[in-house]
Amino acid sequence: MAFDSATAANLAAGVAMGFATIGPGIGIGILTGHACEAVARQPEVSGDIRTVFIIGMALTEALALYAFVIAIILLFVV
Amino acid sequence: MLLVEEGGNKIVEALHELNVQTIVSIPKVWKFDFSITNAVVYMWVSAVVVFLLFFIAAKRAKKEPEKLQTFAEIALNFATGHLTGQIGEKGKKYYYLILTIFTYIFITNIIGLIPKPELFKPYTPTANINVTFSMAIVVFLITQFQGFRRHGFRGYARAFMTPSGVPKALGRPLNVIFVPVHIMGEIFKPLSLSVRLFANTIAGHLIILVMLGLLLQYANVIILPTALFVIIMTAFEVFIAFIQAYIFSLLSVVYIESAIYAGH
Repeated sequence: MAFDSATAANLAAGVAMGFATIGPGIGIGILTGHACEAVARQPEVSGDIRTVFIIGMALTEALALYAFVIAIILLFVV
Repeated sequence: MLLVEEGGNKIVEALHELNVQTIVSIPKVWKFDFSITNAVVYMWVSAVVVFLLFFIAAKRAKKEPEKLQTFAEIALNFATGHLTGQIGEKGKKYYYLILTIFTYIFITNIIGLIPKPELFKPYTPTANINVTFSMAIVVFLITQFQGFRRHGFRGYARAFMTPSGVPKALGRPLNVIFVPVHIMGEIFKPLSLSVRLFANTIAGHLIILVMLGLLLQYANVIILPTALFVIIMTAFEVFIAFIQAYIFSLLSVVYIESAIYAGH
């Protein structure tokens, strides 16, 4: 099998997706851990913490999703 | 290599579910295609469902709520609960917008998960960047309009410049950096809002479809774990549909709030 541009695009999609999940994975881990800690310390403000947690998770998760979109473009468009 | 070339067919076939299927084709007007596709039909269906849900619930409103009214009230409280929490009393105007965004996204996501007959191929409208981007554009326009109306052109432009605490001699030249960064930030808000919803929806569907393709292709080898995975993923998708609708409405509220309290 020759290493042409389509193969390179497929490979790039896999590599992009794999590397892009590292950062958000660490980020969501830290976020969830701290949210748990905060709820354990002050259970009475768990509603506010949940809102902040969901916003933070959405913003962190978006980074991996940008890479996912790039991977889709590499796979189906390029 | 042989595995991929041999087994690729049915998996790729399963991915064709993501294609839009034209039902009634209408000739193009200049560059715009107005044909009625299954995506459009599902968007109409979900709009009608949202309308009927609240219309009937409001018609039958009683002091002791029944099933439908209870559901509508829970949706209202859930979708708009953070509105007054974030914005305060000024936020009450946006009840309808946020409630519509929340229920519409939730119902379009759920409709995409329901199995359907062969005539209308299953399709999730929110797995299409055009749909999500047009919703994000509406939020963007409302945000900017509110910013200009509440602060005037000068006041709102000041929110894009250097913060007021900085001395003038330093603040004026620093605007070269601050203004483009703030403008880029405003432009990226609707972009990330739409890409988040689109990518989350399409990622879930892609995983389910790839697993179904694997199931069809290698049915004699790996039937049980794949089938279990598909079932669990589909259940997880219902949760994702709900969370994404919540996040979209919550972030819309946050963006509108940032325009209302710009420069504070």
